[in-house]
Amino acid sequence: MIWTVMQTSWRRLKNNRSELFLTFIVPIVFFSIFAVIFGSRDSASSTPKIKIAISDTSGAALSERAVKLLEEQKSLRISENSRSHGASKEGATGASTGASTGASTGASTVSRSAAEDLVRRGMVSAAIVFEKSELADSANGLPKIEILTDSFDQVASQVLAAIVQKAVMTANGELLKEKSDKFVQANAPTPANASMVKSSLPMNLVRTADFNANAGSSGASSSSLSQPPTIDLVDVIGGKKTNPVVAMYAAGIAVMFLLFSATTASGSLLEERENSTLDRLLCSRLTMDQLLLGKWAYLTVIGSIQMALMFTWGAIVFGIDLLHHLDGFVALTLVTAGAAASFALMLAALCTSRMQLGWVSTIVILSMSALGGSMVPRYLMSETIQKAGLLTFNAWALEGYNKLFWRELPLADLKLELAVLLGCGFLFIVAARLFAVRWERS
Amino acid sequence: MTLSLDSIPQPPSGALTLETPALAVVDLWKAYGNNQALQGTSFVLNQGERLALLGPNGAGKTTLIRSMCGRVRPDRGQVFLLGKSIRDPDVLLQMGVIPQDLAIYADLTAKQNLECFGQLHGLRSRKLKERVAWALNWIGLEDRAHELTKGFSGGMKRRVNIACGVLHRPRILLLDEPTVGVDPQSRQRIFDMLDELNEEGTSIVLTTHHLDEAETRSDRIVIVDHGKVVAEGTIDHLIESTIGTQRQVTIQASGLLVAAPPGLEWDSEKGRFVCWVDNVADELPGILERIQKVGGVVLDLEVHQPNLHDVFLHLTGKELRE
Repeated sequence: MIWTVMQTSWRRLKNNRSELFLTFIVPIVFFSIFAVIFGSRDSASSTPKIKIAISDTSGAALSERAVKLLEEQKSLRISENSRSHGASKEGATGASTGASTGASTGASTVSRSAAEDLVRRGMVSAAIVFEKSELADSANGLPKIEILTDSFDQVASQVLAAIVQKAVMTANGELLKEKSDKFVQANAPTPANASMVKSSLPMNLVRTADFNANAGSSGASSSSLSQPPTIDLVDVIGGKKTNPVVAMYAAGIAVMFLLFSATTASGSLLEERENSTLDRLLCSRLTMDQLLLGKWAYLTVIGSIQMALMFTWGAIVFGIDLLHHLDGFVALTLVTAGAAASFALMLAALCTSRMQLGWVSTIVILSMSALGGSMVPRYLMSETIQKAGLLTFNAWALEGYNKLFWRELPLADLKLELAVLLGCGFLFIVAARLFAVRWERS
Repeated sequence: MTLSLDSIPQPPSGALTLETPALAVVDLWKAYGNNQALQGTSFVLNQGERLALLGPNGAGKTTLIRSMCGRVRPDRGQVFLLGKSIRDPDVLLQMGVIPQDLAIYADLTAKQNLECFGQLHGLRSRKLKERVAWALNWIGLEDRAHELTKGFSGGMKRRVNIACGVLHRPRILLLDEPTVGVDPQSRQRIFDMLDELNEEGTSIVLTTHHLDEAETRSDRIVIVDHGKVVAEGTIDHLIESTIGTQRQVTIQASGLLVAAPPGLEWDSEKGRFVCWVDNVADELPGILERIQKVGGVVLDLEVHQPNLHDVFLHLTGKELRE
């Protein structure tokens, strides 16, 4: 009897191709997709680079040398926008920033305010700032070093701090060696000129104010930079927020569930086709255009309500600042819900049955959500995958919500995201219409 | 059996006359790949007529019905509704379509379903209210108007399904197997409803596999096979033109019959004597006498009047189609 039950179950599975596919193929497909998204870090070309801006107004040789070293770092990418953005910023912000940038060294550095602005707008993950130290012993050339961070990318700041420490230490060593060599060439090595060498170094290596001097290593520290420099991490965005993580993830979860609910609801189209209701509908005054637009409008409204409820809950319980970003939220939510509705209808029009829609939408939505950053922040992915993520419309939606609630940017700064989402919505609904032609005249 | 465009009575200068067919199907051809579903199908439904469309499975009925309501574009041929091509956008509103499947929303109430399809057919405000009230009364579901249809019995769902297709008072009603899976009481109710509509002037095309329904509930019958009309006419005409009007007499007899009685044949399958008679009253006494003369005793006797079932099998054969 048990054998008969097992045999019958296996035969039923074998005769059901969809179930067979879901049981044995879909897990492998999912595994492969996620392996590609999260496991492609071994390739050097796809290793994620930290996008940064540099501000060097210290005028110190050490910082100049450190900047050069940082520019050579493969793991860093100095923002292409830095220069132009810095330049425009100078013009816009007037004399104060102009003065600071006037003293900037290095081709790719910007003013501090411009660097901070780049971080705040999410154009770079962090910015390194070298400034003249106000400490009394700074005359020796040791600059004040700060890393302006965006705690949205919690990894970048930590990695960058280590890289900057290494660059400063290396720069210092190189400068020391150059000076020593120059001096040795010019003078005989006597105790008297040795003291001269020491005083002519670009920075006083025995000073301790800006370095984490180790008292126990006083003998060694008198002649070299034996301790890493002090680097201040300044959180320019998340520091003020009461609950930064919620603002970051609310959008990701909301967009993913928006897609799921829209796709489930769009299945009504297939249900209508399966039970001949579609025939009856199309024998009335209703046209396929009207049917699709009606369903699209319904799904958009429901999706918008869903998003509004979620963010209202987030505002009440988790302190998301919804009220001060209402205009941006309304605009972004409408276009996101509209794009999700179009996408769901396109999937429904593409599929032949509700069951097929079920597994196709599960695969597509989970993959898009993974790529688009709903599950894991995109900065953790390889560069290639980050770029691929931009092909998913939910990456744009997430970026829009992050700009709004995390970076607190005004509606005007969401133009690109709004345009991309509107374009996606339009393309998807046109595709849905084209796929639905087969139902009109079967 | 082909119908040409010229043979259809056309209304002078587009005006509708009584002679204008409610529905004219003219030389329809449709192929799905190598499968030729329709091969020059032609027939006419007159105004106020009830027409039964019959055919075995795979005969092309579904394609024909879908062509008639504009859901399938034929490769060749045309369909006219009240003298106008069905490609005319407004003409389809003259037709009510009742699909074989339950094409209603299970998660709406009976009233909500009626309102939905009424609105889609252009009914608004007071007119819509009136028609929905009429429909609920017509299908006998006034007291269940606010219940979700998913909780209804098969017969109740069928009635809602029909009502959704007639709310807008169509001139032509197309019913595809409207009584599938319903009990005799519900079936009776459905046909009473259809009779009411017909009395009000609605022309009806009914497809069914219940030949008794076709025989009793239609004025004329069209039999389709292999994508063509193989016979059409009244039931009497069909019987006369196919298997004839003779009655079949089947007799079970016992006793020592030394030979088959004259004029009777032995049907080994049935184990009975069989003969055909024109007039039962005149010819039956003679047959019984002949049996007795050869030593037989009549145990049972059956007189079978040819019906649509015989005509159908005669025209379409007995082999299974699917």
